[in-house]
Amino acid sequence: MKALTMKTAKPNTRVLSVIWILLASLCGASAGHASVPGIQGTTFSLVASENYTTQPDGMAIYSWGYGCATTTGVTPLPFGSCASMQIPGPTLIVTEGQTVTVTLTNNLGAVAGNTSIVFPGFQVCLGAITSGVCGAPTPGNGVQGLLTQEAGPGQSVTYTFIATTPGTHAYYSGTQSDLQIEMGLYGALVVLPASPSTSCVKNANTGSSYTLAASAYDGNTPNTCYDREYLFQLAEMDPRIHQDALAQMHCSSTTSSTGCPTAINVAIEPYHARYFLINGRSMPDDMDANFAPNYPHQPYNGNPHMHPGDMVLLRIIGQGRYQHPLHEHGNHVRVLARDGNLMVSQTDPTSLAGPLLFTTTTTPGVAMDGIFYWSGRGLNWDIYGHTPGDGSTCIADANGYNTMPSPPQGAGVPSNYYEWCADHLKPLETMNGGPTTLPDSNIMTNGLWYAGSAYLGLDATTKAMGPTPLPPASSPQNPNAGYAFMWHSHNEREITTNDVFPGGMMMMMIVDAPVTVIDETL
Amino acid sequence: MHSRKSAIQKLCPIWAPLILASFFALPASAQSFRVQCPTATTLHPAPPSGQTDPLSGDPLYNGPTALSPAPKFKPLNGAPPFSLPYAYVTNGGAIKCQEISGGDGFMTEADGNQTFLFGFGPLSGLGLIQNGLPGTQLAADFNQRYNAPFLDLAGTKPDPLFNPSFPVNINAGIAIPAEMMNIGVLNANIPAPLMAIDEDDEFFLTLTNVGMIMRPDLFEQHTVHFHGYPNASSFFDGVPDASVAINIGGSMTYYYLAPDAGTYFWHCHITPPEHLQMGMVGQLYVRPRQNRVANGTSLYTAFQWQQSDLRTSCFPSKDILCATPPPAVNTGFKQGDTVNSNTYTKYAYNDGDGSTRYDVELPLQIHGFDPNFHFVGMTFNPEGFSDMKDKYFLLNGRSYPDTVQTGPQATEDSDGIVRPSQPMPATLTLKSGQRALLRISDLDVTEYQTLASLGIPMQVIAVNARLLRDQAGNNLYYTTNSITLAGGESLDVILDTTGIAPGTYFLYTPQLDHLSNDAENFGGLMTEIVVQ
Repeated sequence: MKALTMKTAKPNTRVLSVIWILLASLCGASAGHASVPGIQGTTFSLVASENYTTQPDGMAIYSWGYGCATTTGVTPLPFGSCASMQIPGPTLIVTEGQTVTVTLTNNLGAVAGNTSIVFPGFQVCLGAITSGVCGAPTPGNGVQGLLTQEAGPGQSVTYTFIATTPGTHAYYSGTQSDLQIEMGLYGALVVLPASPSTSCVKNANTGSSYTLAASAYDGNTPNTCYDREYLFQLAEMDPRIHQDALAQMHCSSTTSSTGCPTAINVAIEPYHARYFLINGRSMPDDMDANFAPNYPHQPYNGNPHMHPGDMVLLRIIGQGRYQHPLHEHGNHVRVLARDGNLMVSQTDPTSLAGPLLFTTTTTPGVAMDGIFYWSGRGLNWDIYGHTPGDGSTCIADANGYNTMPSPPQGAGVPSNYYEWCADHLKPLETMNGGPTTLPDSNIMTNGLWYAGSAYLGLDATTKAMGPTPLPPASSPQNPNAGYAFMWHSHNEREITTNDVFPGGMMMMMIVDAPVTVIDETL
Repeated sequence: MHSRKSAIQKLCPIWAPLILASFFALPASAQSFRVQCPTATTLHPAPPSGQTDPLSGDPLYNGPTALSPAPKFKPLNGAPPFSLPYAYVTNGGAIKCQEISGGDGFMTEADGNQTFLFGFGPLSGLGLIQNGLPGTQLAADFNQRYNAPFLDLAGTKPDPLFNPSFPVNINAGIAIPAEMMNIGVLNANIPAPLMAIDEDDEFFLTLTNVGMIMRPDLFEQHTVHFHGYPNASSFFDGVPDASVAINIGGSMTYYYLAPDAGTYFWHCHITPPEHLQMGMVGQLYVRPRQNRVANGTSLYTAFQWQQSDLRTSCFPSKDILCATPPPAVNTGFKQGDTVNSNTYTKYAYNDGDGSTRYDVELPLQIHGFDPNFHFVGMTFNPEGFSDMKDKYFLLNGRSYPDTVQTGPQATEDSDGIVRPSQPMPATLTLKSGQRALLRISDLDVTEYQTLASLGIPMQVIAVNARLLRDQAGNNLYYTTNSITLAGGESLDVILDTTGIAPGTYFLYTPQLDHLSNDAENFGGLMTEIVVQ
């Protein structure tokens, strides 16, 4: 999308939607699937520096971000790499109880002044932690700031803490935060449970799913087992602030008639957000692959895929200044924890007590963990369009789902793993004996993620009774004919990119048919 | 299967008159208005009979039963009839239908400003909608013949299709394309037609795109997104990117088996920042099975009945997302029990303990309008999104003091016809000691809004259409004086007036800049609850 330049402040959305359709069909090949890539270790060497990030309207945005000063001692997990500057910063993956050391070097430039990291929820030590006890501050370890110890220009500071609380956490700049977080100095810290559940039974999925742990939290109860996981960091951006910062950071007497500042002083108000980001990218860029080469400083995507019945752990962090109501189409989310604090019943610690939400409000500085799944239960029609005699079977387990690892399907019948068996064979369309007649496709407009039928899976597109279903695999964005669901900010003005719809905080979650291989490395 | 076709279905597909094509100067002649409301389906082979629940018209709930005789599916495509290889379980319910138009129109703000809308209007249940009631009907009522002498409320514009030899019926579904246009054009309501279904109902919702006569340059599609429907199919989810969207001159019938009880809502999903800001937002709730339990039956017992059908059961240890876990305590509450001399047969959720009982309910939708965006939206200019700034703050499409006006609020449209543009009052009257259920949803597209209660405590019993109850069965209801919602959220509040003296009590926003109607430093997001 980078080659596209849309500089009109308020372009005609309808003209652009046509352009968008053309472009979207071009970028289908690089569409990826997400997981939670990061770097695992106990000693991290980070650097804060400047660089440019890109937006789907073609703008290159001057930004500040954390990156890896060195990758010595850390392991990319489950795959990928660590950029020298990236937004969000590298996702730090540690295990509960470990002593974690983070050294930050400030390479922002002298005009930017000091910088730092705060780790909310953890007791940060400025010396060595020995047997769990924080020692005296190491001499020369940074300079004193308001919220935490800071690194001066070209200097370093080292933070040490014990990863006491499992779950998802935020980290971000504790120095001049109103500017520095806006510029991109934020990231995520994932603490894996020390004693994950030993009773989790993973779904028999096609394709690898790179879960970082068996369960989100410790122990077998309450049940926090999961099959896949995704991390979404939501933030907004006002490009004017970034332009002002660039002008001051790279000021010279030839570019400024009023003199150059020795310390950055950018007006934060009036604040006018124009970009709304998931993991540093706007839609549709967020649905490109992790570590896609065209976003060297925005390596993480937002492109959730899952199979029916997969327990999907959502790690969601508010990293900006606004709240964003993130609406998950398709089902509710069970909130497990807030800032790593598991919510359990006051009368029964083995029972969860977090709410069920179809819109998970994302609040600045707050991280939440939740479990989502999609199964198609209770629709009163067979989502695969099975018909009698087609060789399909559905053998209900105790919960009503077909979870036989290898159901005795007839030859050539695709897997219906996790089908809701009470609806097996129930027709949808009147032509098949069902309740309703689907609309004439001649009077409908097809979406880019619409695969041509009401049914799930590539073979199902041939089962549509409508007069003109799309030919199989004719949906460039959804070539395997999954069910697509929009996950987006319901402050709908935020699903735009600099006034252009569609864009911003939006991604298409896809429930792929069981036979579809989900490659999370993309 | 032929027997399942309703009278309306038999008329279909109906090709709209050529006049429609010339009206919109469509490049292609593909118009097809089509309404579906079958009188029978395999799940509901016959209309409700015997004793029925007065609120829903559904049969009483006695627990799941295998449908008898076992149904035979009879395909119309020549395939042989077949049965399912397992018992076909029913929990009652009925076929419910509703019909809406997608188009444009005008509404009147509390300061008198006439505002252009993209909106939905009723094409069935017009009389019900005008009275602030849900327009959802049983198939037998929907499939009557629509026949109204006038196009307008005041009775000054005769309906050319009125036939005096048939009875007047303004609630039936409109099946004739010409009448869909006569009624549907400029028929936008804010909020959009209210929908209410019951668990186990099959809901046939037909949307007809009548075009936007004020914006002939646009060829906008419309859809219905049933917001919060759990385990939705993407086909009926209404997201145009993931499914199909309805062109001008077309209809689509959305088919849903009612999900778990709760306060949901619905809206168009085409270019959401535009179509939602412009007014394509509505309310929808699902009533619980528990309402349909016979008098004198223990609610706890009825809850156990639900646990014997996998679809209606909730065992948190098996399903982390199941809607309502069994109550931790059997309160012994029975259907029809009397508390403070009020008798209870209505509940917000399948609580199993009577704790969500209520006497009167008020669906209350929070919204915001940016008058600049609406003004620009009526002309031919492109609109900016990030500059959106709401200046009208709406409860059921009205700002104070219009919120407390009873009856429909009407607006004269550009064709001179006065239509009920804002049919739903946002006020409530109840007797001291009664319990009011506020079903609050928010579809503002720009910011969070807060609603506070002066004098009557708010007990929040559910958020996002789910009872606040932990997996161990403890109710996590909380009492507060204010709630805050973003667009895309809903919650349920009980106002218990036990010990509350008669008088007028206010619901209002403490966001003080929202207590205004554009330039008027008065009004905004505020309404009154009258305790008698």
